[in-house]
Amino acid sequence: MKKGKSLLRWAGVLAAGTIVLICFSFVGARGLASLSNDCGKEKRADVIKIDTLKVFGDIERPEVIFLHDLHTAALEKKNKDCSACHLSGKNFEVIPDTLKAAVQRIDRMSPKFRRLKDISRKEVMDIYHNNCIECHTNMSADGEKTGPVTCGGCHRKNPPVSSRQPVGFDKSLHFRHSKVQEKKCELCHHEYDQKAEKLVYTKEKEGSCRYCHKQETQENRISLKLASHLSCIDCHRKTLAKKAKAGPVRCSGCHDLENQKKIEKIADVPRMERKQPDTIMITTGQPGRIKDVTARMDFVPFDHKAHEGYNDTCRVCHHTDLEKCNKCHTPAGKEEGKYISLEQAMHQMGTENTCMGCHEIKQDDKKCAGCHVFMQRTRKKEASSCLRCHMKQPEVSDPGNAQLSEKQLAAVAGTMLKARKPVTDTFGDEDIPEKVVIRDMVNKYGPAEFPHRKIVHTLLDNIRNNKLANYFHSEKGTVCQGCHHNSPASQKPPRCGNCHGKPFDDKNMFKPGKMGAYHIQCMGCHKEMGLEKPVSCTDCHKENKVLN
Amino acid sequence: MSISRRKFLGWLGAAGMGTAMGSSADAASNKHFTGYPGSMGVLHDINRCVGCRSCEAACNKVNELQSPDRAFTDLSVLDKKRRTTSDAYTVVNRYDPATGTGREKEEPVFRKIQCNHCLEPACASACFVRAFTKTKEGAVTYDASVCVGCRYCMIACPFNIPAYEYDEAFTPRVMKCTMCHPRIMKGQIPGCVESCPKEALTFGKRDDLIKIANERIQKYPDSYVDHIYGEHEMGGTNWLYISDVPFERAGMREDLGITPAPQLTSGALAGVPIVVGLWPVLLTGIYAMSKRKEKIAQEEEAQAVAQAVAGTEAEAKKKLSAALAKAEKDKETAVKKEVKKALEEAAKAKEES
Repeated sequence: MKKGKSLLRWAGVLAAGTIVLICFSFVGARGLASLSNDCGKEKRADVIKIDTLKVFGDIERPEVIFLHDLHTAALEKKNKDCSACHLSGKNFEVIPDTLKAAVQRIDRMSPKFRRLKDISRKEVMDIYHNNCIECHTNMSADGEKTGPVTCGGCHRKNPPVSSRQPVGFDKSLHFRHSKVQEKKCELCHHEYDQKAEKLVYTKEKEGSCRYCHKQETQENRISLKLASHLSCIDCHRKTLAKKAKAGPVRCSGCHDLENQKKIEKIADVPRMERKQPDTIMITTGQPGRIKDVTARMDFVPFDHKAHEGYNDTCRVCHHTDLEKCNKCHTPAGKEEGKYISLEQAMHQMGTENTCMGCHEIKQDDKKCAGCHVFMQRTRKKEASSCLRCHMKQPEVSDPGNAQLSEKQLAAVAGTMLKARKPVTDTFGDEDIPEKVVIRDMVNKYGPAEFPHRKIVHTLLDNIRNNKLANYFHSEKGTVCQGCHHNSPASQKPPRCGNCHGKPFDDKNMFKPGKMGAYHIQCMGCHKEMGLEKPVSCTDCHKENKVLN
Repeated sequence: MSISRRKFLGWLGAAGMGTAMGSSADAASNKHFTGYPGSMGVLHDINRCVGCRSCEAACNKVNELQSPDRAFTDLSVLDKKRRTTSDAYTVVNRYDPATGTGREKEEPVFRKIQCNHCLEPACASACFVRAFTKTKEGAVTYDASVCVGCRYCMIACPFNIPAYEYDEAFTPRVMKCTMCHPRIMKGQIPGCVESCPKEALTFGKRDDLIKIANERIQKYPDSYVDHIYGEHEMGGTNWLYISDVPFERAGMREDLGITPAPQLTSGALAGVPIVVGLWPVLLTGIYAMSKRKEKIAQEEEAQAVAQAVAGTEAEAKKKLSAALAKAEKDKETAVKKEVKKALEEAAKAKEES
């Protein structure tokens, strides 16, 4: 009896222990979850991480998260400007001598806090500690709301999270700037003259800042980050000082997602003036001939002007410079082009950087996706579709002597492009059945009445103003193949039920059965096109009361 | 008899050695069991499912289950997350893939839930009366006639599938999807698969289903997560899934691992015959040996004591006799001395007088 009691006692102790353990583990898990959750944290676009001391070795305390806009606003109230923290960069060493001449017109400020250069660990640390704490102390003595003065106040372990968004300079912004600056391109654009070791401006050689200013500062060129902050903010600041309309000077002005949406966008941006060609002939790079003897495919005429309109920046295609594609991407590929051949650079799928890759992405548009979602991305394209771009070259009167210059080739491309007729073609209404009644599988539901002609017309209307779609659907029957797939385009393609029959045939396991095929095709298309109807089964086929 | 600590540890070590040296149960099992060849299964394409509940209705009909309170056409049922019950071998749930990601509400996904028909079922391995059978056709079937109602299977199932007829007072059964095994035996396909209008369910040989799933993933890489759920989960299941959202977002467990449930316990269970069969013999042997040793020691001790006692007694006797002899001698000497003294005194007195 005694033994039984002690056993019971032990069991009780064990059970209590287990409960306590379980409780702890739950609390622990919840505590961890709340730690790893960023949702509760403050998110700002003006978060700057001060970890300058890292260049001198390991840092002892957590890096300081500095909220720049908060300080700009506080200083503004006291009628102080950027110079309260940033020294004038008259002898600014970050800008190499060569650059100085080009930027002399602006009194640039050092992007560093109260110094031009990081000299030593001690000095940099003192600059921050003395100045920050002094200002905060003075302000609190005056009874103003201010920042921390204790170590842990700035060296926080749980600082706000940055919501900083990268910002770009698109066509619209470029046009607005060039208009205000009266097309003085040299105010921003420059290039490095290797021989003279100087920054010079060459007309019609302008390119994206990113072509030279990379992620990190290299030798004689500063990083893109530094270059854009120095140039943009300085200019905006000077313009503001003149009480004129200017761009943002605060972090959040450019880097906050909401503010980015507020940036004025010009709908119809005039073409950039850089003497770029209207049309070009994409060649293998072999000089001169209308038909390169080494090239097996006909050259592709390219409407450069139209494509400028389709894209936001030149960088979309011209990713490293504004040279021709075949300079780096040769038929065999070479080192400058990372051995990406001309064929790959033009045809590679699954990327937006090639002709076909970009055209394929356009198929994700709701108006196109209804049909195109069913087409295998990696499928082998029909050989005849190559010829849509690799058009047959016009005969030249004297083929033996047909040495054509770049310009002449471009002109030939122009005439070839003009000869194109990008209009979707299809059969006449009399050949398109108005209604198709699907009565193959009548059981629980009655036959489905399929408004065949109405659907064809909707599909045609959807692409009426789409030049790309029109060009690739300009043969009779191409549009029909969105549904009537896997059989040659024809006026009377086979009905769905001709191929789709009994499901789950292990000899033909990849083909859906009849009921599956109808529902997958119809409902898949409606979903991709964002159509709200039909909602329920009876919207397409009435319930069969007799059978039920 | 009391057992000393050292002795106890010694026994334990011996028992451990015995277990370790015994052959493992794995030796007789096929660790790489990949299912019966040609076994059937179903592939559920979550991307295709629209949550129409046709499969639920068909399941109810072919299994002659009780009619639910709300009609199968009532889609408001999907507002709640449901599990399988004894009256519903399969249920379809709706999931918002954005739940818990901090993103905005997204287009819902639908997932059908039913027995996954594991290649090596946990329910069958947990059942001590062998009520569950993994058939060579792929289905895991249940024999109510042997079931004792312990419901270990319900605890063992990693997918939380078997349901119990709690309402049945006298003959409650464990209920779950049978993959329509009786229909398959008749050459028919499962009721749910037959009724699915979108072919979100594909019936076929498991090997073929994996090929079909891979073909869809390869053909439409933007529309599918590159994974077939059930190909390896819990050692593989005959019901497979592909999806356009991460499976976790469709309410599926991604923490199950690829080890079949029976293998998780086989190591420990392999020890059972050894422990049950060998340990008593071993321990009894050790006990007998130590007992014998003790007995011999006792006997020897008794002998030694007897000898010692005898030796001591003899010595004592000797000593005593020696002491007695000495005492006699002393006495004699003393008497002689006294006699001599008396004689001398008498002589002296005689001289003086």
